[in-house]
Amino acid sequence: MVLFLIFATLSIIGLFAYTAQIWAVRSYRSLHTAPHSGENNSCTNFFPPISILKPLKGLDDNLFDNLESFCHQDYPQYEIIFSLQNENDPAFKVARMIKDKYPQKNITIHVERCSSGLNPKVNNLIPAYRISKYPYILISDSNVTVRRHYLKEIIRNMATPGVGLVSNLIRGMGGYSVGAVFENLHLNTFVMGSVSFLDRFLKMPCVVGKSMLMRKTDLEAIGGFMGVKDVLAEDYVIGKRMHESGKRVILSRHMIDNVNEYWGIRKFLNRHTRWGKLRWQIGGAKYCSELLCNPVFMAFLPLIILGPTRLTFAFAAAVSLCKAMGDFIIGRRIGTDLKASSYVLGPLKDVLIGVIWFVPLLSNTVIWRGNRYIIGKDSQLSSCPETGISSWRYRIFDTIRARVA
Amino acid sequence: MLLCDFHIHTKYSDGSIELNKVVDLYGQAGFDAVAITDHVVNKDSSIGKLAHRFRYTVREDNFIEYMEAIQYEAARAWSKYGMLVIPGIEISKNYIDSDKSAHILLLDLKGFVSACWDYEKIFLEAKRQDALTVACHPHTMSDMSKDTYHLWNNRDRYAKYIDAWEIANRDDVFNVVSLKKYPYIANSDFHKARHLYSWKTLLNCKKDVGAIKQCIRHNKGVAITLFRN
Repeated sequence: MVLFLIFATLSIIGLFAYTAQIWAVRSYRSLHTAPHSGENNSCTNFFPPISILKPLKGLDDNLFDNLESFCHQDYPQYEIIFSLQNENDPAFKVARMIKDKYPQKNITIHVERCSSGLNPKVNNLIPAYRISKYPYILISDSNVTVRRHYLKEIIRNMATPGVGLVSNLIRGMGGYSVGAVFENLHLNTFVMGSVSFLDRFLKMPCVVGKSMLMRKTDLEAIGGFMGVKDVLAEDYVIGKRMHESGKRVILSRHMIDNVNEYWGIRKFLNRHTRWGKLRWQIGGAKYCSELLCNPVFMAFLPLIILGPTRLTFAFAAAVSLCKAMGDFIIGRRIGTDLKASSYVLGPLKDVLIGVIWFVPLLSNTVIWRGNRYIIGKDSQLSSCPETGISSWRYRIFDTIRARVA
Repeated sequence: MLLCDFHIHTKYSDGSIELNKVVDLYGQAGFDAVAITDHVVNKDSSIGKLAHRFRYTVREDNFIEYMEAIQYEAARAWSKYGMLVIPGIEISKNYIDSDKSAHILLLDLKGFVSACWDYEKIFLEAKRQDALTVACHPHTMSDMSKDTYHLWNNRDRYAKYIDAWEIANRDDVFNVVSLKKYPYIANSDFHKARHLYSWKTLLNCKKDVGAIKQCIRHNKGVAITLFRN
């Protein structure tokens, strides 16, 4: 009974924490949607030319639409640079189609094998940055779709003195498979809630790497891309260094969409295991708060440890229901297109997330875009040894993983 | 080179994704030409009857609706992605005995063809409609699907009717077909989203249906590729 009470208390604390996150999302949305919308922001008349750097690697769900949405921007002068490591990448063909469809747009497809660092995304960005023409750069991942006034909305923040970096909240959209629904639920609840909470209430600089706008001069002052070529969380490190240099890091009002349609569950688990390892290396003991903020997992622990009694089952069901309702409220608030029935999967997703929360405590390696790395403090990457005794450990893991697959 | 997949199923038969979403999936991935080929299943066997019972087949009574839906999607795909969508069916003669079973793709088809007809009648009707005929998965497959050996076992009799043989289907490559030097293509036999990443055909020809059919029939400028992300 004591054990049950401990977990019940932790679950209730988790529900309160989640309520605070819902409140943060609500206040964020009401703050940022009421007075401005779309073209009304043009009153600032601050429209410097922007270079959009798009690192491409493989096919993301909805890739064509994602890239095309940047060709529809209502903005006076901007260039788009699609940057790839080789022409055999399937994304090359899609980039080519976009360039052919919009010949009037300033689009460059740049293919260059760059191996300056260990972070493959930064390796993709370095050549794109070198050929970019304009004083403002926007790093934009290939898996996001934006609306017409995106550039106008984010650039206006740069007119405020002291602002060095503008990032955006991400909304998960689509979801035709269970893995994709899990991913969108997690983006819309845990990620959205945490980022909004940290930004609104704790005033901590949050950078979401899927969209980062900054001046070239500011980036170079903090070491440029070469300064983050060997870190996994280049977005976090850039934000942190920008903050330390005295520049403000802010979240824009413009929410951008991450369309995930046909993900498998394995892809979902792989991504969040990788992100978990990254947060564990960056946050250290603060990482434990994530487990406390997972009330569903906490509520299921008594059911697993003490066995299925009427009390443990009823408690787990009640907490799951409350959490699913919270997920639904956030989903409606941010206008995601998830079906109401999808929210039933939320508690199951939370249990899975609770299980993989422990993985970073046991492993400090990640496989990203086909390469295995060891993550160190502040997500510093180093290559895995290919010879010696320790290399066998990774080979055994890889063999087990392949067998299971 | 045109990146093509000529063997795709939708919810009109046993595919798991609706036609419009399948077209978008291929369009978003940068394909140049695809063929929608839902099953038309025979009714003269217990397996075939089951397919009809559960509506895993295009039927004569919904064939026009099926073709109109493809035409609509073809127009949309061309305007949005510059991708050709070719209407087709997969004649599926399913029997308990794999040696009696065969599947035939009919591409750029105009009218209904029944899977209950005999093989010669099907091939002749396809020729009359100027449809491309493809013998699909003619040899042993690695997954749990039922093998379809009839066309391969009777190749001397049917080869004259067949424009191309599926030399690779999803994850399988049929070496025995390659040894015969028949015209070939490779397809995904798409039923689920993950089947997008599988064997595909590359064609060195103009992006129009006539040129594609000619390229496959003459088997010049045809290559296969294992499409991976």
